[in-house]
Amino acid sequence: MSNTVVKCEKVEKTYQKDSVPVYALRGVDFEVNAGDFVSLSGPSGSGKSTLLNVIGGLDRPDSGEVTVDGVALSGLSESELTELRLRKMGFVFQAYNLIPVLSAQENVEFILQLQGVPQAERRERAEAALESLGLADMSHRQPGELSGGQQQRVAIARSIVSNPVLLLADEPTANLDSGTTEDLLGLLRRLNEQENMTIVTATHDPIVMSYTKRQVHLRDGAIERDALAA
Amino acid sequence: MSEAALSPAVESRPIQATGLVTRIAWRNLWRNKRRTWLTAGGIAFATLLVTFAMTMQRGAYGMMIESATGLIEGHIQVSHFRYPDDTKLEQTLTKAAELMHAVDDLQGLEAAPRAGAFALVSAEERSFGGFVWGVDFDREVEMFTFFNGIQEGRLPQSDDEIVIGRTMARNVGVAVGDELVMLGSGKQGGIAAMAQTVVGIYESGQAELDRTLLFTRLTAVQNVFELGDELHVVSIRIPDHREVYEERERIQGALGQTYLVRTWDEYMPEVVQAIEIDRIGGYLMYGAILILVSFSVINTFLMIVFERTREFGMLLAVGMRAPLIMRQVLTEALFMWVVGVAVGWGLASVFVGYLMVEGVPVAGFEEIAGTFYISDRIYPAVDAASILTAPVVLLIGTQLAGLIATLRIRSIAPVEALRGE
Repeated sequence: MSNTVVKCEKVEKTYQKDSVPVYALRGVDFEVNAGDFVSLSGPSGSGKSTLLNVIGGLDRPDSGEVTVDGVALSGLSESELTELRLRKMGFVFQAYNLIPVLSAQENVEFILQLQGVPQAERRERAEAALESLGLADMSHRQPGELSGGQQQRVAIARSIVSNPVLLLADEPTANLDSGTTEDLLGLLRRLNEQENMTIVTATHDPIVMSYTKRQVHLRDGAIERDALAA
Repeated sequence: MSEAALSPAVESRPIQATGLVTRIAWRNLWRNKRRTWLTAGGIAFATLLVTFAMTMQRGAYGMMIESATGLIEGHIQVSHFRYPDDTKLEQTLTKAAELMHAVDDLQGLEAAPRAGAFALVSAEERSFGGFVWGVDFDREVEMFTFFNGIQEGRLPQSDDEIVIGRTMARNVGVAVGDELVMLGSGKQGGIAAMAQTVVGIYESGQAELDRTLLFTRLTAVQNVFELGDELHVVSIRIPDHREVYEERERIQGALGQTYLVRTWDEYMPEVVQAIEIDRIGGYLMYGAILILVSFSVINTFLMIVFERTREFGMLLAVGMRAPLIMRQVLTEALFMWVVGVAVGWGLASVFVGYLMVEGVPVAGFEEIAGTFYISDRIYPAVDAASILTAPVVLLIGTQLAGLIATLRIRSIAPVEALRGE
């Protein structure tokens, strides 16, 4: 069985901006294997977020094929893509994007509830996830009562609690101070090393890149450099 | 996508989302308390207003029906099948004593037997057409308010006494103590003539009645007009006019199909018409109120959907399907309705409850009400329609409002919604 989690083949994506085509991705070929911790970097407009969105099924390429855990995304309806994201992926966003009316524990349980996991198991797994991220004491707090770093930890707990095949993070530390950034990156590295979690993160932050095993640099919609960390 | 391609750990588990959706929807409702209370307040106000207006309307209709039937007509009348369309002397109810016995046996009813005939009413030089009713005054006074309108004199105590209307008295030029002669045809074809002393003059407030109707004892009419043991009408009052159709069935069942048993709405269509016209006007007003409130709910939910576009994008991104998000918003609309209707009902129950005891005085009605011993106040009447109309219409309105607003969720692209941050 192949250990390829993500496979992009000749992926192209063009946006129209003021009637002018903007080439976000130009025939990108790219693979992510199980256990990889990959950073997608590059200047603004290089295509790193677009590539992340295409891999996550949040955006569709104009041509080419994206395969996640053996499932070709081009043949899926929007509803099927949503289901695939629920069952195979975890997302961490720049702005945390927790549900403001749910407590930290409920936010983490949310994904499991959508997956139909029974209540007792849900609670146990959510508590374990929060504890592993040092949030056991804050499980009953609502997002508004947590700091940015704590909210992002809850978001990570939410994204990993269902044991996804792939964790996608879009500028996960952009809103955090440097101390909290290092803290969170250490956390992601631990997840990758100890849990063998496959992580792909889009970032422009050199500190983030320094924590990843593999650094993919994009420019003008194409991969300029793809290298393992030294 | 084949199910086999998905994680075997979760693919077979059904999603039990009701608790999740309900919890999020309820808490979302209070994210913007002021807006929620304003919208729920609109629903509450509409519920209060429509419930109050409908109960008052029903109370007023009840009062109209009671006033109309309580004057002299009764809630139900028993007659010969042809009598309503052909008011001839011959269209009689035979075996009157037996019939009255059967009606009197029906528990809870009051019945008044009547026999009537057209006659030429004369006094000295003047003659006018009139209709002479023979009635049982004891029963009539017990059941109806009509004879409370005796302005002069008293009710007849013997077969040679009669009461007439004020207009008739003026037309023929008689006063209390004068003699009237009535000429008509008997049932067998003979001349029916009676000379009676006017012992009372009434004013009913209805010129048509005051000009034409004369009342004497039942036996006087039966004897003079050769009716024997026969009647033309048995007028019946029941305890609650809302049960008139059930009572008609009961009476018809007891008397058999030989008799025509009619309810008040059949012989007083003008009352029905007046109620219907008022009811239509009321419905137009209620419709306008409820539509306005529904539009305010649509506005609220459109704002909610616009404000939460990024949040919906996130929910779609992490795997919550659009129909489930729509269900969550519709549940919010349902909660908004529950809060609004609960407050509206609470206020309405206090308000209507108080008025059910105290009543609402009807301006300018005191004098006539005093004369006929009827209430000069309208008391709200509660029934299922008056309680449920506003909530049911508002439930449909709020759910439609929620649905219209949430249709936009189907077209949200997660990546664009998230970019909105």
